[in-house]
Amino acid sequence: SGEVLRPVGVSLAKAALYQPRADKSWTCLDGSRSIPFTQINDDYCDCPDGSDEPGTSACAQGKFHCLNKGHQPIDIPSSQVQDGICDCCDGSDESQLVACPNTCQELGAAAAVQRRNEAELFKKGAERRQELITRGKQMRAERESRRLELDQRLKEQELLRTEKEQLKQNAEAFETEAIDAFKEQHRELDTDTAKAEEEPKEMRKEASLSFIEYDTNTDGFVEVTELMVDMVLDKDRNGVVTKEEARYFLDERDRVDIDAFITLSWPRIKPLKMLAEGLFQPPTPEDSTGDAAQQTEATPEKINPTSPHLNDEQADLAGDDDIEADEEGDEDQYDDEEPDVGVGEATPDVEDAKPPVYDPETQRLIQQANEARNALEEVERSIREIEHEVKEIDEQNGKDYGPNEEWAVLDGQCYTFEDREYVYTLCPFDRTSQKSRSGGAETTLGRWEQWIGQPKKYSQQKYANGAACWNGPSRSAIINIKCSLEPKITAVSEPNRCEYYFEFETPAACDSEAFQAETDNLHDEL
Amino acid sequence: VDPSNFKTCEQSSFCRRSRKVQTSGSKYALIPGTLNTYADSLTADLVNKENHHQFAFKLEALVGSSFRLQIDEKQPLKPRYRVEHALKGQPQTGRIRVQRETDGEIVITSERKQGRLVVDSIRRYCRRLLKVYDHLFWFLFYYNLCFNYGHSWQETGSLSSPRISFRPQRTAGVYWQNAAETWVDIQTTETNVVSSLVNFVSGSRKTPPPAAHFISESGIVDAFILLGPKPLDAFRQYAALTGTHELPQLFSLAYHQSRWNYNDERDVTSVSAKFDEFNIPMDTMWLDIEYTDGKRYFTWDKFKFPQPLTMIKNLTELGRHLVVIIDPHIKRDNGYFFHNDCTERGYYVKTRDGNDYEGWCWPGSASYPDFFNPVVRDYYASQYALDKFQTVTSDVMLWNDMNEPSVFNGPEITAPKDLIHYGNWEHRDVHNLYGHMHLMGSFAGLQQRDPNQRPFILTRSHFAGSQRYAAIWTGDNLADWSHLQHSIKMCLTEAVAGFSFCGADVGGFFGNPDAELLERWYQTGIFLPFFRAHAHIDTKRREPWLFPERTRLVIQNAVLKRYSYLPLWYTAFYELEQTGEPVIRPLLAHYPLDKEAFGIDNQLLVQDRLLVRPVMQQGVGKVDVYFPSVDDKKNGDLWYDVDTYQRQEKSGYVSVSVDEYKIPVWQRGGSILPKKERQRRASTLMINDPYTLIICLDRQGKATGSLYLDDEKSYAYRKGHFIHVDYEFSNGQLINRFIGKPNYKTEAWIERIVIAGLERVPNGATITVNGVTQQLEVLPHEGHVVVRKPGIKMDVDFALKLNF
Repeated sequence: SGEVLRPVGVSLAKAALYQPRADKSWTCLDGSRSIPFTQINDDYCDCPDGSDEPGTSACAQGKFHCLNKGHQPIDIPSSQVQDGICDCCDGSDESQLVACPNTCQELGAAAAVQRRNEAELFKKGAERRQELITRGKQMRAERESRRLELDQRLKEQELLRTEKEQLKQNAEAFETEAIDAFKEQHRELDTDTAKAEEEPKEMRKEASLSFIEYDTNTDGFVEVTELMVDMVLDKDRNGVVTKEEARYFLDERDRVDIDAFITLSWPRIKPLKMLAEGLFQPPTPEDSTGDAAQQTEATPEKINPTSPHLNDEQADLAGDDDIEADEEGDEDQYDDEEPDVGVGEATPDVEDAKPPVYDPETQRLIQQANEARNALEEVERSIREIEHEVKEIDEQNGKDYGPNEEWAVLDGQCYTFEDREYVYTLCPFDRTSQKSRSGGAETTLGRWEQWIGQPKKYSQQKYANGAACWNGPSRSAIINIKCSLEPKITAVSEPNRCEYYFEFETPAACDSEAFQAETDNLHDEL
Repeated sequence: VDPSNFKTCEQSSFCRRSRKVQTSGSKYALIPGTLNTYADSLTADLVNKENHHQFAFKLEALVGSSFRLQIDEKQPLKPRYRVEHALKGQPQTGRIRVQRETDGEIVITSERKQGRLVVDSIRRYCRRLLKVYDHLFWFLFYYNLCFNYGHSWQETGSLSSPRISFRPQRTAGVYWQNAAETWVDIQTTETNVVSSLVNFVSGSRKTPPPAAHFISESGIVDAFILLGPKPLDAFRQYAALTGTHELPQLFSLAYHQSRWNYNDERDVTSVSAKFDEFNIPMDTMWLDIEYTDGKRYFTWDKFKFPQPLTMIKNLTELGRHLVVIIDPHIKRDNGYFFHNDCTERGYYVKTRDGNDYEGWCWPGSASYPDFFNPVVRDYYASQYALDKFQTVTSDVMLWNDMNEPSVFNGPEITAPKDLIHYGNWEHRDVHNLYGHMHLMGSFAGLQQRDPNQRPFILTRSHFAGSQRYAAIWTGDNLADWSHLQHSIKMCLTEAVAGFSFCGADVGGFFGNPDAELLERWYQTGIFLPFFRAHAHIDTKRREPWLFPERTRLVIQNAVLKRYSYLPLWYTAFYELEQTGEPVIRPLLAHYPLDKEAFGIDNQLLVQDRLLVRPVMQQGVGKVDVYFPSVDDKKNGDLWYDVDTYQRQEKSGYVSVSVDEYKIPVWQRGGSILPKKERQRRASTLMINDPYTLIICLDRQGKATGSLYLDDEKSYAYRKGHFIHVDYEFSNGQLINRFIGKPNYKTEAWIERIVIAGLERVPNGATITVNGVTQQLEVLPHEGHVVVRKPGIKMDVDFALKLNF
């Protein structure tokens, strides 16, 4: 078939367009001009579209067609024709002087082997992918049935909550009545109780005095800057009271008036004051007993400078740019904390107060009220658990695990890769991270965002909003995904500051049908 | 550059003291009877009337209308440093003649009549021209073409460049040769300083002269007074003293792709491949400091670059080059051969106490070779030999950065002034010359490595004369429109100060340019002699294909334009080496009678053939272009838009529409310039490609222009292996005339001749070569005609006649 007469650099398909007219003229393919047929490939560009010089470098827009018999034909830009470099495997783009070897047979054979190997890989990989699909679909079905079950349980628990709520209110009404009666009887007798009643007043007085001390500009507000001068408030003991630290004591506001100071700020400040004066040692677990222990459980975190949360903060202030650790610290803290335990209630006064000794009937009513409260609390905890699980399931259902759920199994897995300096971790659909081999904190490179492959959507994932870079954007990562029998990361690079590329392989990517369609396309071109 | 890192005059004690010196009431006087006149010079002794300290004064006439003035202490307690190696050689002296000595006025002439140095009287001369104040001196001087350096001079250490003043009909310059810290106070009575007059050249005394006060911390007075009278004369006079660039290899005039850093071998290879994929020409890939093994120069990071020779071969096989950075700071590491050699042999710059100085730079603790010592320069040069630096080839060229020298923990980010150099000079005496000495070592190294290949070196620090060894860039700029504008101002300043091979980091080093800024920066960058894109390690990647398609196409278009003009750039550099005439020039270089043109610093000329006014503002659809006048009557040249051949006939400002692709450039009517209009992936692959001649006619229908070509790489041109040809068009006929014998074999030929400005359209052309005549087709186009395929070899005489 190569015997069709055609000018150098013209593909077989276009050969028919390069025929002279009877008067030996020829028209540029864009129709713009007619030129003598002899001016085709005469090393001078006559046609604006470059069509008269398919075989030379004369036209800027030109294309040279390499037949590359035995391999794949390609078009190269005319800038690469006769430049002394062999670009076509058949050497047709250079003159004899350059003596390009014809490497098409070898390359063709090698390409065929590669295609076969790939086809083989996809075939084998497809079996594993099928397993992943089965598992993935099963997981979705499980999630959906679990979701229905949870919906049902949630409804039940909500009804139960209403009931327990009512019981609690009733029990508490009795309890309050009994206690009030008891107090009325013992008012004169029990000095401790009187003192207990005095406590809040003393607190107010103390707080007001403190307010006046802090309000150095006497504008009726305590501001962040006014707190920043009191080294007692240096929670993390790093020598400065930062704006963030100061804001904590102002309930995350810029300033507070006296009422807010007394109710919100003073309870946070006082423990530190006492700590500074040596009046107060945070309770250790051994010391803690009963309700008091439960109540104060969360508070040492806030004031103990050696707690993990504050460590994170210290690390942050010391220049570690991984804000992630900080955020995680916060989350942990919220998880531990009982939601109804305000920080202010954890004052040492409450702890030190001795509970009065009630008469048996009052005690019984208190006991009943406690049981009712506990019963309600149990129902509420159960509801929270259900809601948490529902949220998790909804999140998973919201993730794109591919048209056949083939990627679902990867959610929850983590893969690592080590290079000279770092250990990289990829937890698909969750996060990517980096950790120096010489130690130090883990740095988040990004959290799951979406599939971004073009044109094949499921060939590339993006993880964004990782830890912020010094002087730069948040870290992010792109995961390029290829087919292989075993899941693994094969390379990680950072071509742009703080933009990472992972090369990841998994059988989930072994879509043999798509692969087949692609190679068929290739064959059509051939 | 953060200006707060550098001292002001007020913060410098010697400058603060010296600045107060008044121009009148000198306490210095000529010692009667000591004035001697020789064939080429005048000498005299001066005395400080207060402390009776004596000075030796010498005024020498140099060939080519220049004078050299030197003043030193007669009996110094400690000798004063005299700058070495800045001048190309010993300046040739001319004849001095004291012409007239009437009524207190002396006229001194060199052999050329126009070079008159008028001195009111020796006494007044001493008072007005020169004042000695302990160890510093000042004298009158012409205001220079003071483009805004920003603060880059601090970084580039280029203070010792000539100051050149322009005014109608008279141009003169002063080259203050001193390597110490120097301030220059400029005192002018006029608001338009650029048009200031100076009396002592012209002899006219209508307005009080502007003055300049040179304040140097140490050294002698060593001033060269260049008397012009035309701008190009002053440029030539300076070039005669300090030399010119050697003709660079052609590839170094093409496009350079740099970044701090290309991360590894794969990165380098894939960036190179992407340029081919998008059909954008690119000649040189650059590697910044991260390629080294822990900033130990002459080594490679073995993990990121395990096979440098293979990587280099992958580039050179495509006609491309690699440039690697080698800085002068040496890592203090006992496992590093270079450091051990320098330590053992005492090659490092010393502290006052005689220990090796330790500063802080990229490698951490570092020391600095004392390049003032010729033995150290030899040692340094020998490290480039391919049997020593085995991981490069002779095609790998060099980038010398941080050679001010940069010392992160030093005063003003450089070396302390009390360090001791070879010859027992203090760093304060020689500071501004350190980079120059570094370059001497590097240049020798590359020449010895391959004696037949012209070295290419890029440097940041430079001194007068550094142009003989290296190209420069304007230092660490910012991705900002104002810095784009500065790139032209700075390079024009360098160009008139002998340093044509100048460019700025395209795109801006710090920060991330948006698409429009990057496009405009490329369009500007292609018309500066050194054309390199570069970026800081913290910036986003900005290779053209990472931007939207339009930006990629705009950039491709600009880069292709640069490549098409390479024959012009190459010719201009050859002619610079021959004549000292800068490659790029401010308008006033050729339009010295047009006062308006003096202040224009957003336009430039390439030789006298192209007028370039890049778009350097954001979001504009129009730019104002100034077309200069040839006289003071608003008569101008004809200018032809290089894209459309549309003609500008009047001088003055013209508002020109621009779209995103437009780079406003005009070719001067009366000029002929060579181009190569075929695309290649690298300039080295264009060597056999045919030429296009663009002829733009003046009002008389005439034009002239030259072309230079050779092997683009070796020193064979020094042995006459080149073709240098003048083309001349008049009366509808084009002829060539070889300058010297055409003695270079080339496959190249002339494929196209474009003629703009003809009154009538010819119906054909006749070409005669060696008595053989042939008819050629002439194709009419809008505003120009094209002579189709003359097919003339480059080394033959021809005559081409248009037929009407």
